[in-house]
Amino acid sequence: MRTFWQLVLANARDIGRDKMSLFWFLAFPVLFILLFGFIFSNEGTPTYDVGIVYNSGNPLADGLVKGVSAVPVFKVHTGDREGELQALKKGKRSLVVEALSPSFATMAGGDPLKVQVYYNETQPTARQVLLPVMEQLLSEAERRMTGRPKVFDLVAEPVQSSDLRMVDFLLAGILAMALMQLGLFGAMRAVSLREQKILKSLGATPLRRSLLLVSEVVVRIGMALIQTFLIVLIGYAVFHVKILGSWLALLGAVLLGALTFVSMGYMLAAFPRTEEAGIGLVQMVQFPMMFLSGIFFPVEIMPSFLRPVVNAMPLSYLADLLRQIMVAAPPEYSIATDIAVLGGWAMASFVVAARFWRWE
Amino acid sequence: MRRMDAVTVSGLRKTYGKTVAVDGLDLRVKAGQVFGMLGPNGAGKTTTVEILVGLRTRDAGEVSVLGMDPAREGREVRSRIGVQLQARGLYPRLTVKEIVTLFASFYDRALPVDEVIEQVGLTAKARTVVRALSGGQAQRLGVALAMINDADLVFLDEPTTGLDPQARRGLWDVIRGIRSRGKTVFLTTHYMDEAERLCDNVAVVDHGKIIAFGSPSDLISEHFEEQAIEFSNSVSRDREKFEKLPGVTRARLSENAATLYTRDVPATMTALMQLATGDDIHIDDVVVRRATLEDVFLKLTGRRIRE
Repeated sequence: MRTFWQLVLANARDIGRDKMSLFWFLAFPVLFILLFGFIFSNEGTPTYDVGIVYNSGNPLADGLVKGVSAVPVFKVHTGDREGELQALKKGKRSLVVEALSPSFATMAGGDPLKVQVYYNETQPTARQVLLPVMEQLLSEAERRMTGRPKVFDLVAEPVQSSDLRMVDFLLAGILAMALMQLGLFGAMRAVSLREQKILKSLGATPLRRSLLLVSEVVVRIGMALIQTFLIVLIGYAVFHVKILGSWLALLGAVLLGALTFVSMGYMLAAFPRTEEAGIGLVQMVQFPMMFLSGIFFPVEIMPSFLRPVVNAMPLSYLADLLRQIMVAAPPEYSIATDIAVLGGWAMASFVVAARFWRWE
Repeated sequence: MRRMDAVTVSGLRKTYGKTVAVDGLDLRVKAGQVFGMLGPNGAGKTTTVEILVGLRTRDAGEVSVLGMDPAREGREVRSRIGVQLQARGLYPRLTVKEIVTLFASFYDRALPVDEVIEQVGLTAKARTVVRALSGGQAQRLGVALAMINDADLVFLDEPTTGLDPQARRGLWDVIRGIRSRGKTVFLTTHYMDEAERLCDNVAVVDHGKIIAFGSPSDLISEHFEEQAIEFSNSVSRDREKFEKLPGVTRARLSENAATLYTRDVPATMTALMQLATGDDIHIDDVVVRRATLEDVFLKLTGRRIRE
C-alpha cells in the first residue's frame, strides 16, 4: 500500500510539474467552454442590417423605413444608393432595399411599383430568410393600401419546450471531449515512460507492473474528477448551467467515460515506439471524434454516409450520456445503449492493450 | 553454498536476431567481493547483467543469483538485490530525494533515504529535479537507487562511465564502502584502471565470451613476467629490429608509439638508447611500467579495449 501511494504521488508530482500537460489538462477545456459558450450564448437574437436607399422626393422611401423598422430583427440604415451598395459589398448590410421612382405607367395605374432588393450572395440567410420576409412585408403593405380584407390570420403561440440552450448542450459535450483527451493523451505518458526507459528502471525492482499500471490509471481518474468539477463549476458560475440529473449518476458516467478512454489510450499506446509517433496516432483518432460526435455540430447536419462512423464512436455515446444526465437533453441513444457501447469499447480496448502491450 | 557464490553462470547464451550478444559465458562470483566484468562496448556485459536481474530471458545456459533463477523467480531475486542500469530513465520532474524515497518503498529492507543520498554525495542536490542533474550526478543517483535496498548483492552496470576522474574516484570509495559492509558488488566496466584497482576478481570479456578470469594481479603475472617500456616513435615500422633487442619478448607498434615487453629492463634500455643514437629512430617520452590489464587484453585479442 505504501508503494502504491508513493507511485501515485510520484505520478501526480511528475505530471503536476509539467506545465504543458497542465495546460492541456486544465486550461484547454476551460478555454473551450468560455470561447464556445460566449459565441453561442449571443445566438438568441440575431439582427440583420438592412440598408434603405433614401431618395428625397420619393414618398415610398418613408413608408419602407417605417415598415422595415417594425420588424424586430432588422436594423435599419439609410443612405444614398451608392453608399448603401458599398456597405453591402463590404458585408456590413445583409440587404439593401430601394423603392424605384414611380414611372408614368405606374402613375397611370398599370404596372406595379418596383421595389429593388440587393442581397449578398455569400450570405445564404439573406436569400433564404430575408427575401421572403421582405416579400411578406410588401404584401402586407399592399393589402392595407388596397383595403382587401384578411383571409388568414396567423396566430403564433410559443410552447414551452425543454429549456435547452446551446451552452447546456455544449457543456456536456466539452466534458466528454475533455475526458477523451485525458484518457487518450494520458496514456501517451506510458509511451514516454517506455521511451525514456523509466519502465525499464522500475522493471529492475521488485515492483509489480500491475501496480504501476493501476497507479497510472488512478491518477488519470483523479484528474478526470478534477476536470469534471472545474467544467461543471465554470458552467454554473459563468453560464448558469444547472446539473439536473443526480450527482451520483454524473460521477458514474464520468468514471465510465474516463475508464473507456484510458483503456483506449493504452490500446493506442501499445504500438508506437516514440511519444511523437504516439501523439500522431492519438490525433488521428481523437480529431474525427471531436468533430463527428455531435459535440460542436448536431449529428443531424452530417451527411448520411457518415452516420455509421458517428454511431461507432464512443465519444458520441459519452456526450449523449452526459447531456442526458447533466441537462436532461433529449436522447440520441438510450442510456442503456450508451452504457453498453462505452463498456464494450472499454473492454475491447483493454483486451487489445493487454495483448499487444510492451514494457520496453 | 549460497554464502560462497553470489552468482554462478554456465554456458549462458543470448542472441538478438543474427547478432550473438553472449556466447557461452561461465562466471562465478564469490560473496563479499567486488567482481568486475571488463570488456569493450558490445562485449555482452549489459546483456549479461540484464539477464542476471531478470530483465531479459536467456536462450541457453544456467544462471543462479543468490541461489535462485532470475528467469523463474525474477521478483524474488529483484527484492534481494540492488540494480543500477546503464540505460535507464527516471521521472524527470521528481527530485533526487523523491526518487530515492519512491524506490525505497519498493523494498522491505530499505536503508534510510538521507543516509544513502549522503553516501553518494548528493545531499546538496537532494531537492534538485532529476533532469537538472549533471551526467555525473545522475550516475551517482543511479548508484544510490542500487544501494537503497539493504541487499546482499548489488549490480552496477558501467557506474563510472562519463564521469571525470575525481568523480570516478569518489564512486570507487562508495563501492568499496558497499563491500566493507559485507555485500557483493557485480560491476561492469570498460576502464582497465577501474577493474585493476577496485575489483577482487575480474572476468575479461570479448564478443560475448570470457577470455580471462582471475584477480587483476594474477591475470597480469599469468600473462606477463615482463615489464613494459613505452615510447613515442613515429619513424620505425620495423618490429623485428625491436624484438631482437636483449630481454625483449614482444614488441607492439602503433601509429606513433611503441611498447616493448621485456624481462630485463636495464639491458633493453641500454640497447634501445644505442639504437636511438646510432640509427634513424627518434625516441621520446620513455615510460617504464609494469604490465596492466590493458596489456592482457591487448595480448589476448590483439586490440586495445577502447578502439
